[in-house]
Amino acid sequence: MGENEQIKALFERVCYDNSVQAYNELYIALCTRLIHFSASIVSSYHLAEEIVSDVFLSLWQKKNELSHVQNPVVYLYVSTKNRSLNTLQEQKRHQHDSLDELNTDMLAIAPEAENGMVSAEVSQKIERAIRSLPARCQLIFRLIKQDRLSYREVAELLNISTKTVDAQLTIAVKKISLAIRFDLSDETAQTYLRLDS
Amino acid sequence: MSFTDTMDQEKLYALLAREMAGILTTEEAEDLRQLLQQYPDASYIREVFSQNWTPAGKQYSPQQVQQLMEKHQQRLQQISEAEPYTEAPEPRRHWGWYSGIAAGLLILLALGGYWRYGQQKKTPVVLSQLVTDKRMRSQILLPDGSRVWLNAGSKLDYPPQFAAHQPREVTLEGEAFFVVQPDAERPFRVHTKTFQIRVLGTSFNVRAYPLEDSAVASLVQGSVEVVLNDASKQVVSLKPNEKLTVPVHPATEQTENIVAVHTPLVIYKSKLTTLQDSIITETAWVQNKLAFKHLQLDKVVTMLEQWYGVEINFSNNRKKQLYFTGVFESESLEEVLNALETTLSFSWHKDADGKIWIN
Repeated sequence: MGENEQIKALFERVCYDNSVQAYNELYIALCTRLIHFSASIVSSYHLAEEIVSDVFLSLWQKKNELSHVQNPVVYLYVSTKNRSLNTLQEQKRHQHDSLDELNTDMLAIAPEAENGMVSAEVSQKIERAIRSLPARCQLIFRLIKQDRLSYREVAELLNISTKTVDAQLTIAVKKISLAIRFDLSDETAQTYLRLDS
Repeated sequence: MSFTDTMDQEKLYALLAREMAGILTTEEAEDLRQLLQQYPDASYIREVFSQNWTPAGKQYSPQQVQQLMEKHQQRLQQISEAEPYTEAPEPRRHWGWYSGIAAGLLILLALGGYWRYGQQKKTPVVLSQLVTDKRMRSQILLPDGSRVWLNAGSKLDYPPQFAAHQPREVTLEGEAFFVVQPDAERPFRVHTKTFQIRVLGTSFNVRAYPLEDSAVASLVQGSVEVVLNDASKQVVSLKPNEKLTVPVHPATEQTENIVAVHTPLVIYKSKLTTLQDSIITETAWVQNKLAFKHLQLDKVVTMLEQWYGVEINFSNNRKKQLYFTGVFESESLEEVLNALETTLSFSWHKDADGKIWIN
Protein backbone atom coordinates (compact mmCIF):
# COMPACT_ATOMS: atom_id res chain seq x y z
CA MET A 1 0.00 0.00 0.00
CA GLY A 2 1.47 3.36 -1.02
CA GLU A 3 1.70 6.20 1.44
CA ASN A 4 -1.16 8.07 -0.14
CA GLU A 5 -3.49 5.07 0.02
CA GLN A 6 -2.48 4.57 3.64
CA ILE A 7 -3.41 8.15 4.45
CA LYS A 8 -6.65 7.75 2.56
CA ALA A 9 -7.45 4.57 4.50
CA LEU A 10 -6.71 6.31 7.82
CA PHE A 11 -8.85 9.27 6.85
CA GLU A 12 -11.75 6.97 5.98
CA ARG A 13 -11.43 5.18 9.31
CA VAL A 14 -11.62 8.58 11.02
CA CYS A 15 -14.69 9.64 9.05
CA TYR A 16 -16.64 6.38 9.02
CA ASP A 17 -15.51 4.56 12.17
CA ASN A 18 -14.63 7.55 14.37
CA SER A 19 -11.36 5.72 14.93
CA VAL A 20 -9.14 7.55 17.41
CA GLN A 21 -6.28 5.25 16.54
CA ALA A 22 -6.46 6.18 12.85
CA TYR A 23 -6.78 9.84 13.78
CA ASN A 24 -3.61 9.68 15.89
CA GLU A 25 -1.71 7.89 13.14
CA LEU A 26 -2.87 10.47 10.64
CA TYR A 27 -1.63 13.25 12.90
CA ILE A 28 1.78 11.62 13.32
CA ALA A 29 2.08 10.90 9.60
CA LEU A 30 1.36 14.45 8.48
CA CYS A 31 1.97 16.94 11.29
CA THR A 32 5.60 17.86 10.62
CA ARG A 33 5.06 18.33 6.90
CA LEU A 34 2.05 20.54 7.51
CA ILE A 35 3.91 22.48 10.20
CA HIS A 36 6.78 23.26 7.83
CA PHE A 37 4.28 24.31 5.16
CA SER A 38 2.38 26.52 7.58
CA ALA A 39 5.60 27.96 9.03
CA SER A 40 6.68 29.08 5.57
CA ILE A 41 3.50 31.19 5.45
CA VAL A 42 3.36 32.53 9.03
CA SER A 43 7.14 32.64 9.63
CA SER A 44 6.90 30.95 13.01
CA TYR A 45 7.14 27.31 14.00
CA HIS A 46 5.34 28.04 17.23
CA LEU A 47 2.33 29.52 15.44
CA ALA A 48 2.47 26.81 12.80
CA GLU A 49 2.28 24.07 15.43
CA GLU A 50 -0.87 25.65 16.81
CA ILE A 51 -2.39 26.11 13.38
CA VAL A 52 -1.83 22.48 12.44
CA SER A 53 -3.27 21.39 15.78
CA ASP A 54 -6.33 23.55 14.95
CA VAL A 55 -6.60 21.89 11.55
CA PHE A 56 -6.70 18.48 13.21
CA LEU A 57 -9.14 19.62 15.91
CA SER A 58 -11.48 20.81 13.22
CA LEU A 59 -11.00 17.51 11.38
CA TRP A 60 -12.15 15.63 14.49
CA GLN A 61 -15.15 17.90 14.98
CA LYS A 62 -16.23 17.69 11.36
CA LYS A 63 -15.22 14.10 10.72
CA ASN A 64 -18.73 12.91 9.98
CA GLU A 65 -19.27 15.55 7.31
CA LEU A 66 -16.06 14.82 5.44
CA SER A 67 -16.81 11.53 3.73
CA HIS A 68 -17.06 13.37 0.42
CA VAL A 69 -13.42 14.45 0.57
CA GLN A 70 -11.70 12.94 -2.46
CA ASN A 71 -8.13 13.60 -1.50
CA PRO A 72 -7.46 13.86 2.25
CA VAL A 73 -3.87 15.04 1.73
CA VAL A 74 -4.97 17.98 -0.39
CA TYR A 75 -7.83 18.66 2.02
CA LEU A 76 -5.43 18.92 4.98
CA TYR A 77 -2.89 21.02 3.08
CA VAL A 78 -5.61 23.39 1.86
CA SER A 79 -7.05 23.68 5.40
CA THR A 80 -3.55 24.42 6.68
CA LYS A 81 -2.98 27.02 3.97
CA ASN A 82 -6.28 28.77 4.68
CA ARG A 83 -5.80 28.83 8.43
CA SER A 84 -2.24 30.07 8.02
CA LEU A 85 -3.33 32.89 5.73
CA ASN A 86 -6.13 33.82 8.14
CA THR A 87 -3.72 33.91 11.04
CA LEU A 88 -1.38 36.12 9.09
CA GLN A 89 -4.21 38.44 8.20
CA GLU A 90 -5.28 38.74 11.85
CA GLN A 91 -1.72 39.46 12.89
CA LYS A 92 -0.77 41.95 10.26
CA ARG A 93 -4.23 43.37 9.84
CA HIS A 94 -4.06 43.35 6.10
CA GLN A 95 -5.30 41.14 3.35
CA HIS A 96 -3.39 37.97 2.55
CA ASP A 97 -5.02 35.73 0.10
CA SER A 98 -2.03 34.38 -1.72
CA LEU A 99 1.29 32.84 -0.93
CA ASP A 100 3.37 35.79 -2.08
CA GLU A 101 5.50 36.27 0.98
CA LEU A 102 6.79 32.84 1.80
CA ASN A 103 9.52 32.52 4.36
CA THR A 104 11.87 30.22 2.52
CA ASP A 105 13.99 29.49 5.60
CA MET A 106 11.23 27.09 6.54
CA LEU A 107 11.29 25.42 3.14
CA ALA A 108 14.94 24.63 2.49
CA ILE A 109 15.83 20.98 2.23
CA ALA A 110 19.07 19.24 1.31
CA PRO A 111 20.35 15.69 0.98
CA GLU A 112 21.54 14.18 4.23
CA ALA A 113 25.26 14.80 4.24
CA GLU A 114 27.65 11.96 4.95
CA ASN A 115 25.33 9.22 3.82
CA GLY A 116 28.11 7.96 1.59
CA MET A 117 26.72 9.61 -1.51
CA VAL A 118 26.74 13.29 -0.71
CA SER A 119 29.45 15.18 1.14
CA ALA A 120 28.63 18.03 3.50
CA GLU A 121 30.05 20.41 0.94
CA VAL A 122 27.84 19.22 -1.90
CA SER A 123 24.87 19.28 0.45
CA GLN A 124 25.57 22.94 1.23
CA LYS A 125 25.93 23.74 -2.47
CA ILE A 126 22.52 22.22 -3.05
CA GLU A 127 20.96 24.16 -0.22
CA ARG A 128 22.41 27.38 -1.62
CA ALA A 129 21.12 26.54 -5.11
CA ILE A 130 17.64 25.94 -3.71
CA ARG A 131 17.70 29.16 -1.71
CA SER A 132 18.55 31.10 -4.87
CA LEU A 133 15.29 29.99 -6.49
CA PRO A 134 12.09 32.08 -6.37
CA ALA A 135 10.05 31.30 -3.24
CA ARG A 136 7.16 29.75 -5.15
CA CYS A 137 9.57 27.46 -7.00
CA GLN A 138 11.18 26.40 -3.70
CA LEU A 139 7.76 25.58 -2.30
CA ILE A 140 6.88 23.44 -5.32
CA PHE A 141 10.20 21.62 -5.12
CA ARG A 142 9.69 20.88 -1.46
CA LEU A 143 6.11 19.73 -1.85
CA ILE A 144 7.14 17.26 -4.54
CA LYS A 145 10.51 16.07 -3.27
CA GLN A 146 9.98 16.15 0.49
CA ASP A 147 6.23 15.95 1.00
CA ARG A 148 5.83 13.59 -1.98
CA LEU A 149 2.74 15.32 -3.32
CA SER A 150 1.79 14.65 -6.94
CA TYR A 151 1.70 17.27 -9.71
CA ARG A 152 -2.08 17.28 -9.49
CA GLU A 153 -2.08 17.77 -5.74
CA VAL A 154 0.37 20.66 -5.89
CA ALA A 155 -1.60 22.22 -8.75
CA GLU A 156 -4.82 21.98 -6.73
CA LEU A 157 -3.23 23.34 -3.58
CA LEU A 158 -1.62 26.34 -5.27
CA ASN A 159 -4.32 26.98 -7.88
CA ILE A 160 -1.95 26.59 -10.80
CA SER A 161 -1.80 24.20 -13.76
CA THR A 162 0.13 20.93 -13.68
CA LYS A 163 2.12 22.34 -16.63
CA THR A 164 3.33 25.14 -14.38
CA VAL A 165 4.24 22.62 -11.68
CA ASP A 166 6.25 20.66 -14.25
CA ALA A 167 8.03 23.76 -15.53
CA GLN A 168 8.83 25.05 -12.04
CA LEU A 169 10.14 21.70 -10.88
CA THR A 170 12.34 21.42 -13.98
CA ILE A 171 13.81 24.85 -13.20
CA ALA A 172 14.64 23.69 -9.68
CA VAL A 173 16.22 20.45 -10.89
CA LYS A 174 18.28 22.33 -13.45
CA LYS A 175 19.55 24.85 -10.95
CA ILE A 176 20.55 22.16 -8.48
CA SER A 177 22.14 20.01 -11.19
CA LEU A 178 24.24 22.89 -12.47
CA ALA A 179 25.33 23.70 -8.94
CA ILE A 180 26.72 20.25 -8.30
CA ARG A 181 27.89 18.99 -11.66
CA PHE A 182 30.91 21.29 -11.73
CA ASP A 183 31.67 20.35 -8.24
CA LEU A 184 32.38 16.66 -8.46
CA SER A 185 35.76 15.80 -7.05
CA ASP A 186 38.39 14.63 -9.53
CA GLU A 187 37.90 11.06 -8.51
CA THR A 188 34.15 11.10 -8.85
CA ALA A 189 34.45 13.14 -12.00
CA GLN A 190 36.48 10.40 -13.65
CA THR A 191 33.73 7.97 -12.88
CA TYR A 192 30.83 10.13 -13.88
CA LEU A 193 31.99 13.00 -16.05
CA ARG A 194 32.52 12.93 -19.71
CA LEU A 195 33.11 16.54 -20.65
CA ASP A 196 31.03 17.34 -23.65
CA SER A 197 33.45 19.58 -25.48
CA MET B 1 28.51 22.70 -26.61
CA SER B 2 26.13 22.46 -29.54
CA PHE B 3 22.51 23.47 -29.81
CA THR B 4 21.33 19.83 -29.68
CA ASP B 5 23.32 19.39 -26.51
CA THR B 6 21.45 22.21 -24.85
CA MET B 7 18.13 20.83 -26.02
CA ASP B 8 19.05 17.41 -24.74
CA GLN B 9 20.13 18.79 -21.40
CA GLU B 10 16.89 20.71 -20.96
CA LYS B 11 15.06 17.47 -21.68
CA LEU B 12 17.28 15.66 -19.21
CA TYR B 13 16.35 18.10 -16.43
CA ALA B 14 12.67 17.77 -17.26
CA LEU B 15 12.92 13.97 -17.16
CA LEU B 16 14.84 13.99 -13.89
CA ALA B 17 12.14 16.24 -12.44
CA ARG B 18 9.39 13.88 -13.58
CA GLU B 19 11.27 10.87 -12.31
CA MET B 20 11.54 12.53 -8.90
CA ALA B 21 7.79 13.19 -8.93
CA GLY B 22 7.22 9.54 -9.83
CA ILE B 23 5.32 10.23 -13.04
CA LEU B 24 7.78 9.02 -15.66
CA THR B 25 6.06 7.11 -18.49
CA THR B 26 7.73 4.00 -19.98
CA GLU B 27 8.64 6.00 -23.03
CA GLU B 28 10.17 8.80 -20.98
CA ALA B 29 12.07 6.25 -18.90
CA GLU B 30 13.66 4.95 -22.10
CA ASP B 31 14.53 8.51 -23.19
CA LEU B 32 16.09 9.11 -19.82
CA ARG B 33 18.13 5.92 -20.05
CA GLN B 34 19.56 7.03 -23.40
CA LEU B 35 20.30 10.54 -22.20
CA LEU B 36 22.11 9.15 -19.16
CA GLN B 37 24.37 7.20 -21.49
CA GLN B 38 25.06 10.39 -23.36
CA TYR B 39 25.69 12.42 -20.18
CA PRO B 40 27.12 10.02 -17.61
CA ASP B 41 27.71 12.84 -15.10
CA ALA B 42 23.95 13.11 -14.79
CA SER B 43 23.87 9.68 -13.15
CA TYR B 44 25.41 11.18 -10.06
CA ILE B 45 22.87 14.01 -10.04
CA ARG B 46 20.08 11.50 -10.54
CA GLU B 47 21.38 9.48 -7.59
CA VAL B 48 21.46 12.61 -5.41
CA PHE B 49 17.81 13.29 -6.22
CA SER B 50 16.87 9.74 -5.33
CA GLN B 51 18.32 10.07 -1.82
CA ASN B 52 16.32 11.00 1.26
CA TRP B 53 16.52 14.71 1.84
CA THR B 54 15.93 16.44 5.14
CA PRO B 55 14.86 19.93 6.16
CA ALA B 56 17.88 22.22 6.29
CA GLY B 57 16.26 24.27 9.06
CA LYS B 58 14.28 22.90 11.98
CA GLN B 59 13.80 19.16 12.17
CA TYR B 60 11.37 17.44 14.50
CA SER B 61 12.70 14.36 16.32
CA PRO B 62 10.29 11.51 17.07
CA GLN B 63 10.24 12.72 20.70
CA GLN B 64 9.23 16.21 19.61
CA VAL B 65 6.52 14.77 17.38
CA GLN B 66 5.30 12.83 20.39
CA GLN B 67 5.22 16.01 22.46
CA LEU B 68 3.28 17.81 19.73
CA MET B 69 0.87 14.89 19.67
CA GLU B 70 0.40 14.96 23.43
CA LYS B 71 -0.19 18.69 23.43
CA HIS B 72 -2.67 18.24 20.64
CA GLN B 73 -4.48 15.48 22.49
CA GLN B 74 -4.83 17.68 25.56
CA ARG B 75 -6.52 20.34 23.45
CA LEU B 76 -8.69 17.69 21.84
CA GLN B 77 -9.72 16.38 25.21
CA GLN B 78 -10.66 19.86 26.43
CA ILE B 79 -12.87 20.32 23.41
CA SER B 80 -14.46 16.87 23.74
CA GLU B 81 -15.23 17.53 27.41
CA ALA B 82 -16.86 20.80 26.51
CA GLU B 83 -19.11 19.05 24.03
CA PRO B 84 -22.57 18.11 25.27
CA TYR B 85 -23.65 14.48 25.34
CA THR B 86 -25.84 14.81 22.26
CA GLU B 87 -23.45 12.72 20.23
CA ALA B 88 -23.93 9.75 22.50
CA PRO B 89 -25.87 7.43 20.14
CA GLU B 90 -22.89 7.12 17.82
CA PRO B 91 -22.01 3.55 16.91
CA ARG B 92 -18.75 3.04 18.75
CA ARG B 93 -15.70 4.48 20.39
CA HIS B 94 -16.93 8.06 20.34
CA TRP B 95 -15.38 8.64 23.73
CA GLY B 96 -11.89 8.21 22.45
CA TRP B 97 -9.12 6.28 24.07
CA TYR B 98 -8.94 8.44 27.17
CA SER B 99 -12.16 7.02 28.41
CA GLY B 100 -11.11 3.61 27.11
CA ILE B 101 -9.20 3.22 30.34
CA ALA B 102 -12.23 4.14 32.40
CA ALA B 103 -14.36 1.82 30.30
CA GLY B 104 -11.86 -0.96 30.95
CA LEU B 105 -12.30 -0.44 34.68
CA LEU B 106 -16.06 -0.53 34.38
CA ILE B 107 -16.03 -3.80 32.50
CA LEU B 108 -13.61 -5.13 35.05
CA LEU B 109 -16.03 -4.29 37.84
CA ALA B 110 -18.91 -5.84 35.97
CA LEU B 111 -17.10 -9.05 35.15
CA GLY B 112 -14.83 -9.25 38.18
CA GLY B 113 -12.65 -12.34 38.08
CA TYR B 114 -13.92 -13.37 34.70
CA TRP B 115 -10.71 -13.54 32.76
CA ARG B 116 -9.32 -16.96 32.14
CA TYR B 117 -5.63 -17.28 31.87
CA GLY B 118 -4.25 -19.16 28.91
CA GLN B 119 -7.49 -19.49 27.07
CA GLN B 120 -7.21 -18.10 23.59
CA LYS B 121 -10.18 -17.92 21.35
CA LYS B 122 -8.57 -17.06 18.05
CA THR B 123 -10.76 -14.92 15.90
CA PRO B 124 -9.16 -13.94 12.60
CA VAL B 125 -8.31 -10.26 12.73
CA VAL B 126 -6.64 -8.07 10.17
CA LEU B 127 -3.43 -6.90 11.77
CA SER B 128 -1.86 -3.52 11.48
CA GLN B 129 1.87 -3.40 11.13
CA LEU B 130 4.42 -0.81 12.15
CA VAL B 131 7.79 -1.22 10.44
CA THR B 132 10.96 0.76 10.98
CA ASP B 133 13.92 0.86 8.61
CA LYS B 134 17.49 1.13 9.70
CA ARG B 135 18.23 4.59 11.18
CA MET B 136 14.56 5.07 11.92
CA ARG B 137 12.87 4.78 15.29
CA SER B 138 9.17 5.12 15.80
CA GLN B 139 6.55 5.31 18.47
CA ILE B 140 2.96 4.24 18.51
CA LEU B 141 -0.03 4.43 20.80
CA LEU B 142 -1.89 1.13 20.71
CA PRO B 143 -5.70 1.12 20.78
CA ASP B 144 -5.69 0.31 24.52
CA GLY B 145 -3.50 3.30 25.40
CA SER B 146 -0.30 1.26 25.74
CA ARG B 147 2.72 2.90 24.21
CA VAL B 148 5.37 1.19 22.14
CA TRP B 149 8.70 2.58 21.02
CA LEU B 150 10.05 0.64 18.05
CA ASN B 151 13.80 0.62 17.47
CA ALA B 152 15.48 0.58 14.05
CA GLY B 153 14.93 -2.36 11.70
CA SER B 154 11.95 -3.75 13.61
CA LYS B 155 8.41 -4.86 12.96
CA LEU B 156 5.37 -4.89 15.24
CA ASP B 157 2.07 -6.55 14.34
CA TYR B 158 -0.98 -5.50 16.35
CA PRO B 159 -4.73 -5.58 15.85
CA PRO B 160 -6.49 -2.30 15.05
CA GLN B 161 -8.72 -2.97 18.08
CA PHE B 162 -8.10 -5.31 20.99
CA ALA B 163 -11.07 -7.60 21.53
CA ALA B 164 -12.87 -7.51 24.88
CA HIS B 165 -12.23 -10.29 27.42
CA GLN B 166 -9.26 -11.58 25.45
CA PRO B 167 -5.54 -11.14 25.89
CA ARG B 168 -4.08 -8.20 24.02
CA GLU B 169 -1.59 -9.85 21.68
CA VAL B 170 1.14 -8.30 19.56
CA THR B 171 4.02 -9.86 17.65
CA LEU B 172 7.50 -8.37 17.54
CA GLU B 173 10.52 -8.88 15.37
CA GLY B 174 13.39 -6.62 16.40
CA GLU B 175 13.48 -4.36 19.45
CA ALA B 176 10.73 -2.48 21.26
CA PHE B 177 10.08 -0.80 24.59
CA PHE B 178 6.57 -1.23 25.98
CA VAL B 179 4.67 0.80 28.55
CA VAL B 180 1.57 -1.29 28.97
CA GLN B 181 -1.72 0.19 30.10
CA PRO B 182 -2.90 -1.89 33.07
CA ASP B 183 -5.96 -3.97 32.26
CA ALA B 184 -6.34 -7.05 34.45
CA GLU B 185 -9.07 -8.37 32.28
CA ARG B 186 -6.96 -8.44 29.16
CA PRO B 187 -3.39 -9.48 29.87
CA PHE B 188 -0.89 -8.13 27.39
CA ARG B 189 1.28 -10.59 25.45
CA VAL B 190 4.26 -9.99 23.26
CA HIS B 191 5.13 -12.85 20.92
CA THR B 192 8.61 -13.24 19.50
CA LYS B 193 10.22 -16.12 17.69
CA THR B 194 11.99 -17.23 20.86
CA PHE B 195 9.58 -16.50 23.68
CA GLN B 196 6.36 -14.82 24.61
CA ILE B 197 5.99 -12.35 27.43
CA ARG B 198 2.90 -12.17 29.61
CA VAL B 199 2.24 -8.85 31.28
CA LEU B 200 -0.32 -7.06 33.33
CA GLY B 201 0.73 -3.41 33.45
CA THR B 202 4.37 -2.55 33.30
CA SER B 203 7.25 -1.18 31.26
CA PHE B 204 9.81 -3.42 29.66
CA ASN B 205 12.11 -3.79 26.70
CA VAL B 206 12.27 -6.69 24.26
CA ARG B 207 15.15 -7.23 21.89
CA ALA B 208 14.62 -10.05 19.41
CA TYR B 209 16.32 -9.32 16.12
CA PRO B 210 16.22 -12.32 13.77
CA LEU B 211 19.92 -12.15 12.96
CA GLU B 212 21.21 -11.90 16.52
CA ASP B 213 22.41 -14.77 18.64
CA SER B 214 20.18 -14.04 21.62
CA ALA B 215 16.79 -12.61 22.50
CA VAL B 216 16.56 -10.43 25.61
CA ALA B 217 13.65 -9.31 27.77
CA SER B 218 14.45 -6.45 30.21
CA LEU B 219 12.01 -5.37 32.87
CA VAL B 220 12.02 -1.79 34.16
CA GLN B 221 8.81 -1.74 36.21
CA GLY B 222 6.02 -4.10 37.20
CA SER B 223 6.24 -7.82 36.62
CA VAL B 224 6.31 -10.09 33.61
CA GLU B 225 6.55 -13.75 32.85
CA VAL B 226 8.63 -14.97 29.96
CA VAL B 227 7.44 -18.20 28.39
CA LEU B 228 9.92 -19.94 26.11
CA ASN B 229 8.63 -21.14 22.78
CA ASP B 230 10.69 -24.34 22.78
CA ALA B 231 9.40 -27.75 23.83
CA SER B 232 10.15 -27.04 27.49
CA LYS B 233 7.66 -24.14 27.64
CA GLN B 234 9.72 -23.01 30.60
CA VAL B 235 8.30 -19.99 32.45
CA VAL B 236 10.64 -17.42 33.98
CA SER B 237 9.35 -14.56 36.12
CA LEU B 238 11.26 -11.28 36.10
CA LYS B 239 11.47 -8.66 38.82
CA PRO B 240 12.12 -4.99 38.12
CA ASN B 241 15.66 -4.29 37.00
CA GLU B 242 16.19 -7.84 35.78
CA LYS B 243 16.70 -9.13 32.29
CA LEU B 244 16.52 -12.55 30.73
CA THR B 245 18.86 -13.50 27.90
CA VAL B 246 17.89 -16.45 25.75
CA PRO B 247 20.56 -17.57 23.30
CA VAL B 248 19.24 -18.61 19.91
CA HIS B 249 20.74 -19.91 16.71
CA PRO B 250 20.52 -16.81 14.56
CA ALA B 251 18.28 -17.23 11.54
CA THR B 252 20.24 -17.71 8.36
CA GLU B 253 18.90 -17.14 4.90
CA GLN B 254 18.33 -20.86 4.41
CA THR B 255 16.35 -21.40 7.57
CA GLU B 256 14.51 -18.12 7.65
CA ASN B 257 11.47 -19.43 5.81
CA ILE B 258 11.23 -22.64 7.77
CA VAL B 259 9.23 -22.34 10.94
CA ALA B 260 11.86 -23.67 13.30
CA VAL B 261 12.12 -22.88 16.94
CA HIS B 262 15.54 -23.86 18.14
CA THR B 263 16.25 -25.22 21.54
CA PRO B 264 17.88 -22.47 23.56
CA LEU B 265 21.38 -23.16 24.72
CA VAL B 266 21.70 -21.71 28.22
CA ILE B 267 19.27 -19.06 29.34
CA TYR B 268 20.34 -16.65 32.06
CA LYS B 269 18.98 -13.87 34.22
CA SER B 270 21.05 -10.79 35.00
CA LYS B 271 20.68 -7.21 36.23
CA LEU B 272 20.08 -4.31 33.90
CA THR B 273 23.21 -2.29 33.17
CA THR B 274 23.31 1.28 34.43
CA LEU B 275 25.72 3.93 33.30
CA GLN B 276 26.35 7.30 34.96
CA ASP B 277 23.85 6.24 37.64
CA SER B 278 20.76 6.99 35.65
CA ILE B 279 21.10 5.65 32.13
CA ILE B 280 19.96 2.07 31.64
CA THR B 281 21.81 0.85 28.58
CA GLU B 282 19.08 -1.60 27.58
CA THR B 283 16.51 1.17 27.21
CA ALA B 284 18.67 4.20 26.42
CA TRP B 285 17.59 4.07 22.78
CA VAL B 286 14.09 5.10 23.82
CA GLN B 287 15.57 8.45 24.93
CA ASN B 288 17.47 8.66 21.65
CA LYS B 289 20.72 7.74 23.36
CA LEU B 290 23.16 5.18 22.16
CA ALA B 291 24.64 3.59 25.27
CA PHE B 292 26.78 0.55 25.95
CA LYS B 293 28.83 -0.64 28.88
CA HIS B 294 31.76 -2.97 28.55
CA LEU B 295 30.38 -4.27 25.28
CA GLN B 296 32.36 -6.21 22.69
CA LEU B 297 33.22 -4.13 19.64
CA ASP B 298 31.37 -6.42 17.21
CA LYS B 299 28.18 -5.90 19.25
CA VAL B 300 28.84 -2.14 19.35
CA VAL B 301 29.27 -2.23 15.58
CA THR B 302 25.88 -3.95 15.15
CA MET B 303 24.29 -1.16 17.20
CA LEU B 304 26.03 1.49 15.09
CA GLU B 305 24.91 -0.20 11.87
CA GLN B 306 21.30 -0.13 12.99
CA TRP B 307 21.54 3.35 14.44
CA TYR B 308 23.16 5.02 11.45
CA GLY B 309 22.10 2.64 8.66
CA VAL B 310 25.63 1.95 7.47
CA GLU B 311 27.70 -1.14 6.81
CA ILE B 312 30.72 -1.65 9.03
CA ASN B 313 33.27 -4.40 8.44
CA PHE B 314 36.33 -5.64 10.25
CA SER B 315 39.52 -5.98 8.26
CA ASN B 316 41.07 -7.39 11.41
CA ASN B 317 38.80 -9.86 13.20
CA ARG B 318 40.83 -9.74 16.40
CA LYS B 319 39.49 -6.21 16.96
CA LYS B 320 36.03 -7.70 17.50
CA GLN B 321 37.14 -8.74 20.98
CA LEU B 322 37.81 -5.19 22.21
CA TYR B 323 35.42 -3.85 24.86
CA PHE B 324 33.93 -0.36 24.98
CA THR B 325 31.77 1.79 27.21
CA GLY B 326 30.05 4.96 25.99
CA VAL B 327 26.97 7.15 25.81
CA PHE B 328 26.22 9.14 22.68
CA GLU B 329 23.30 11.38 22.00
CA SER B 330 23.46 13.61 18.96
CA GLU B 331 26.88 12.68 17.63
CA SER B 332 27.34 11.74 13.99
CA LEU B 333 28.67 8.32 13.10
CA GLU B 334 32.07 9.86 12.37
CA GLU B 335 32.16 11.50 15.80
CA VAL B 336 31.29 8.24 17.53
CA LEU B 337 33.94 6.31 15.61
CA ASN B 338 36.51 9.02 16.24
CA ALA B 339 35.72 8.99 19.95
CA LEU B 340 36.18 5.22 20.11
CA GLU B 341 39.30 5.52 17.99
CA THR B 342 40.93 7.83 20.56
CA THR B 343 41.40 4.74 22.75
CA LEU B 344 44.09 3.96 20.18
CA SER B 345 43.04 0.34 20.02
CA PHE B 346 41.83 0.52 16.43
CA SER B 347 41.56 2.85 13.45
CA TRP B 348 38.84 3.18 10.85
CA HIS B 349 38.27 4.48 7.34
CA LYS B 350 35.45 4.80 4.86
CA ASP B 351 35.89 3.25 1.41
CA ALA B 352 34.60 4.57 -1.92
CA ASP B 353 31.28 2.72 -1.51
CA GLY B 354 30.65 4.36 1.86
CA LYS B 355 31.39 1.16 3.79
CA ILE B 356 33.29 1.57 7.03
CA TRP B 357 36.30 -0.59 7.78
CA ILE B 358 37.82 -1.22 11.18
CA ASN B 359 41.54 -2.03 11.11
